[in-house]
Amino acid sequence: MGIVINNIIAIYRRELQSYFVSPLAYAIAGIFWFLSGLFFFSILQDILNFVAGWDLRGQQLGIPAPPIDVPYEFIRAFLDRIGWLLLFILPILSMGLYTEERKRGTLELLATSPITNWAVAVGKLLGVLTFVTTIVLPLLVFEAIILGAANPPMQFTIPLLGHLGLILFAGAILSLGMFISSLTDSTILAAMITFAVILLLLFVDLIANNLGGVLGEGLSHLSLLKHYSDMVKGIFDTSSLILFLSYIFLGIFLTAQSIDAFRFQRQ
Amino acid sequence: MIEVEHLSKIYGSHTAISDVTFSVEEGEILGFLGPNGAGKTTTMRILAGYLPASRGTVRIAGFDVHENSLAVRQRIGYLPETPPLYLEMTVEGYLYFVTRIKGVAAGDRATRVKAAMERCNLLDKRHVIIRKLSKGYRQRVGIAQAIVHDPPVIILDEPTVGLDPRQIIEVRNLIKNLAGDHTIILSTHILPEVSMVCSRVTIINDGKVVATNTPENLMSELAGGSGYELEISGEAALAKQVLQNLPDVSLVESIPAIGSNNMGNHNRVNLRVICVPGSEPGSNIASALLRTEFELYEMRRVTATLEDVFLQLTTEEEKFESETDPVLAESGDVV
Repeated sequence: MGIVINNIIAIYRRELQSYFVSPLAYAIAGIFWFLSGLFFFSILQDILNFVAGWDLRGQQLGIPAPPIDVPYEFIRAFLDRIGWLLLFILPILSMGLYTEERKRGTLELLATSPITNWAVAVGKLLGVLTFVTTIVLPLLVFEAIILGAANPPMQFTIPLLGHLGLILFAGAILSLGMFISSLTDSTILAAMITFAVILLLLFVDLIANNLGGVLGEGLSHLSLLKHYSDMVKGIFDTSSLILFLSYIFLGIFLTAQSIDAFRFQRQ
Repeated sequence: MIEVEHLSKIYGSHTAISDVTFSVEEGEILGFLGPNGAGKTTTMRILAGYLPASRGTVRIAGFDVHENSLAVRQRIGYLPETPPLYLEMTVEGYLYFVTRIKGVAAGDRATRVKAAMERCNLLDKRHVIIRKLSKGYRQRVGIAQAIVHDPPVIILDEPTVGLDPRQIIEVRNLIKNLAGDHTIILSTHILPEVSMVCSRVTIINDGKVVATNTPENLMSELAGGSGYELEISGEAALAKQVLQNLPDVSLVESIPAIGSNNMGNHNRVNLRVICVPGSEPGSNIASALLRTEFELYEMRRVTATLEDVFLQLTTEEEKFESETDPVLAESGDVV
C-alpha cells in the first residue's frame, strides 16, 4: 500500500511539474482568468440593474420592492457561468494526459515499471485536478469582494460548497477525458471526442429537463450539470457526491482497463 | 536468467515473430541480431512485458512475464527503441522520477541516481533540461534510466543508435562493465557491436531464430573458417572449375572487384575461395592457377567476418533461388 501511494505521488508530482513549464497551461490559465473577470463585471452589472429596475417600479407603483439577496444571486449566477466555461477548458487539459505519453514513448516506461495502471491514472487525475483547483482559487477574490459588501453577512458555506461542487464537476469531466485520451494517440482527436461526450451529456440534461415523468427524473439524476447547479445553490445532497465520485471512479477504471487492453493491440 | 520458449507474435494476418526460443544465462550479454524488421523490437517488448505474446512463454528470473508481470517489472531495466524521456525535466529530476516509479527505497535514490549519471557520463549535464540535449545525450539518459535502479536483468533495444563513434565505444564499454552483476540482452543491427560486446549471439531473420552461438563459433562453423580472395585474369567459370577440384576447397564464388585496381580491365575477375576449416590450401591454389596459365595478380587470406555469417544466414532463401537459375548464379551471386 505504501508503495502504491509512493507511486501515485511520483506520477502526481511529475504531472503537476509539467504544467509549470507548459505554455499551453499558462495560456489556459490566462484566458480563464480574463473571461472570469469579464463574467464578474457583467453579472454584477446585470444584477444591480435588475435590482434598480425593481426599485424604480416599486416607487412608481407605490408598493415595496421584493427583497433580493444580491450576494447569493451573484454567487449562483457566477459559478454557473464558470461551470460552463470549464466545459470548454477541461477537454483541452485532459486531451494530452495519455496521448502525450504514447507519442513520446514514455508509456512504455510506465508500463514496464512495477507500478499499476491504477496508480498512474489516479496520479495523473490528481495532478490535472490540482492544476484546475489552482486556476479556480483566485476566483475567491471576486467572491470575497461580494461577501465583504453583503449585509447581513452571508454564510461562507455557500461559496465554499459551490467551489467544492466545481472541483468535483471538473474531476468527473477530466476523468472521462482521461479515459478518452487513453484510447488514441492523437491529441486533437482526444479533445474532439471529449467535447462530443460533453455535448452528449448536455443533451441528456436537456432531454431530462423537457421530458418529465419517470424517465426524465431518472436522467436528471445522472446529469452532472444539475447536481453541480444544486451544489452552487447551496443544496448539498450525498447523492450528488456519490454521483460525482462514481463518474471519477468510472473514468479511472476505464483508463486502467484500456491501457491494458489497447496496448495489447497496438504495435 | 531469461528463458524464452516458442514465442510467437501475430498482428492480424502478419506474423512478427514465430517460434522464437533462446535463453540467457546469469551474468551473460546476449546480442540479438537481425536486419531491420526482423522482429527484434517486438521480441524486446514482449520480454519487457510491454506486449503480450500470441503464443509461448518468457520467464525472467523464474517469473512468467505475463502471469507475474509485477515481479518481472521489479527486476528489469528496459531501454525501448525510442528513449522514454520527459523532455521538460532535467536529467537528474528525470532519473529521480524513474527511481520512484521503480520502487527504489528513498534513502538509496541519491546514490543510485549519481552512480547512473557517472556511469553514463552525464554528471556535467545533470541540471540540463532533456529537451536541450543532443540525440546522443538523450540516448545516454535512456540507458541511465534502464540501469538507475540496479536491476538484475537489463533489456536494451538498439542502445547505440544515434551516437557518434566515440560515444558508441563508451556505451559498449559501459555495457561490458555491467555484465557479471547483470544479465543483459541487447538488440542491434550493427554486426561489429555483437562481436565486441556480446558473449553470445542470437541471429533472427524474418521472425525466426536462425542461429544461436558465440560470435567466434558462428564465424568458424558457419562460414567455414578462413578463405582467400583472388584477382586473376581469364575465364571465371574455368577458374572456378579448376579451384573447386582442389582438396580442402569447399566453395568458390565470384565477388565484385574491390577498389579500382582492375577498372577498365575487363579480363580480370575476382574470386573468393572458402576452405575447409583448419586447412591451408594457399600454395595449392596458387600453383594450380599458374599451372593452368591463369595470371595471378592478387591473393590474400581472409577470415570470415560475422557479417559474412549474418548475410549467409539471412539471405539463404534468395541465394537458393538464384542458384536454381544458372545465369543469375553466374552474374549475381554476390555475398
